[in-house]
Amino acid sequence: MASIIDIKEECALHVRNFEFTYKGAAAPSLKKVTMPIAKHSITALIGPSGCGKTTLLRSFNRMHDLYPGNSYAGEIEFEGRNILGAKEDLIHLRTKIGMIFQKPTAFPMSIFDNVAYGMRLGGIKNKTELNDRVEKALKDAAIWKEVGDRLKHDANGLSGGQQQRLCIARAIAVEPEVLLFDEPTSALDPISTQGIERLVIELKERVSIIIVTHNMQQAARVSDYTGFMYLGELIELGQTEELFVTPKEKLTQEYITGKFG
Amino acid sequence: MTAVQKRVFINKIALALSTLSALIALGFLFWILGVLVMKGVGALNWNIFIFEGAPPGNPESGLKHALVGQAILIGMATAIGVPLGILAGTYLSEYGKNSKLAHTIRDISDIMMSAPSIVIGAFVYAVVVMPMGHFSAWAGAIALGIIMIPVILRTTDDMLQLVPGELREAAFALGAPKYKVILSVVYRGAKAGILTGVLLGIARVGGETAPLLFTSFNDNFFTTDLNEAMPSLTVTIFNYATSPYEDWQQLGWAAAFILSMFILGLNILGRVILFAGKKRK
Repeated sequence: MASIIDIKEECALHVRNFEFTYKGAAAPSLKKVTMPIAKHSITALIGPSGCGKTTLLRSFNRMHDLYPGNSYAGEIEFEGRNILGAKEDLIHLRTKIGMIFQKPTAFPMSIFDNVAYGMRLGGIKNKTELNDRVEKALKDAAIWKEVGDRLKHDANGLSGGQQQRLCIARAIAVEPEVLLFDEPTSALDPISTQGIERLVIELKERVSIIIVTHNMQQAARVSDYTGFMYLGELIELGQTEELFVTPKEKLTQEYITGKFG
Repeated sequence: MTAVQKRVFINKIALALSTLSALIALGFLFWILGVLVMKGVGALNWNIFIFEGAPPGNPESGLKHALVGQAILIGMATAIGVPLGILAGTYLSEYGKNSKLAHTIRDISDIMMSAPSIVIGAFVYAVVVMPMGHFSAWAGAIALGIIMIPVILRTTDDMLQLVPGELREAAFALGAPKYKVILSVVYRGAKAGILTGVLLGIARVGGETAPLLFTSFNDNFFTTDLNEAMPSLTVTIFNYATSPYEDWQQLGWAAAFILSMFILGLNILGRVILFAGKKRK
């Protein structure tokens, strides 16, 4: 029924027959989702509110485990293993699969300490190494020019767009394999949005990216692959251009032409 | 009189009555403060800080014993009440959340907050003073610490819950274990609020007299022995103010003034810190 493209290149993640049920819910919120996530490319997830795109995204780093009672079924393969296993080391998993949230989440500490947070958790104490890697992460996140001379300042003094790039710097500082973006620009102005989009495209050289967005134009602008979800199912996954120009599924066609949403 | 005129008239009466009530209520407050300042400032002098209590008529008498005793009692009560209050508040906000146990603790804490402090004094008398056989600074500090706990527990719980959930998730998403998320992110986000709770908790017990009457009791002389009765400003005020001697009454006014300014200062400082913390966000 669903139309899922067969990705020829190497994949970062494989989702197979994945189901997710929230605590106390009668029916699963995600039903039999199967999708490959290509390595070093950007996969966008689109669909109307409540379709399960954020739920799927938060499964990749097992964020749902923070709230007891939720349950997974099926398989998400990452680095040769199913990460849904009970023995999965979530702390290790989350250093490999980072996440950027909808609202900027700068911690109440200095800019430097924000970026160093994940590295310090990983046990890096050497001052020179920390300094070098903080600088590199901030440069990679295209925010070094703005904050390089005030690393000791409170991160909450930055603008929304700067805070979001700081969060990206913080996430890439621990050198993850995959980055999850949960509507990263929906709280930002158009200029900041442009900056984040440019940054996301640059980052795919080094990490595989999955981005959830409400904004179809954004998916079309930044992503290589797009998945359209509806009522907990993945309806179609294809190359972004094809999906937007010649969708294979009628539902996809109706959604991207604005017949519902 | 038309209907509208009647409504305007009633409105004016209601406004006049409520304004008058507010003025009367505030009037008493300023009356108290005014008398306190007039009598208290007049009674202040350096001898108060240099000399301990003495028999009436002795010019070399002061409040050193009560000031130091008060500081020791409050310091020890803080050492007992603050860690317990903050840790319990952390449990409620970060672990217990909406569980039955957490709600029960919150309810009991609220009841404890409005419990008459003399009851807590009686409790400490029964479980500490009686077995020890005598009054002690320990007993007084434990009583004050117990009174402090619900105040700090509740503010800590409330302030931690104000820290956005996304901030916790962001720390988890970087691979932080739960205790690190709480220590390095949640506490930092709520530190102004928690500090305010601590200051208000100290201010709350600073003026307690009843629970000290049968725990640390009182002493007219300087002591730092925690196993003995310990003087405090509040009980000293009670003793000196009700005495028939003019010079003791003067010392009572001075003690009342110092204590009030201390508590007023703590309250103002607590508000300033909370306000500054809010403005930063």
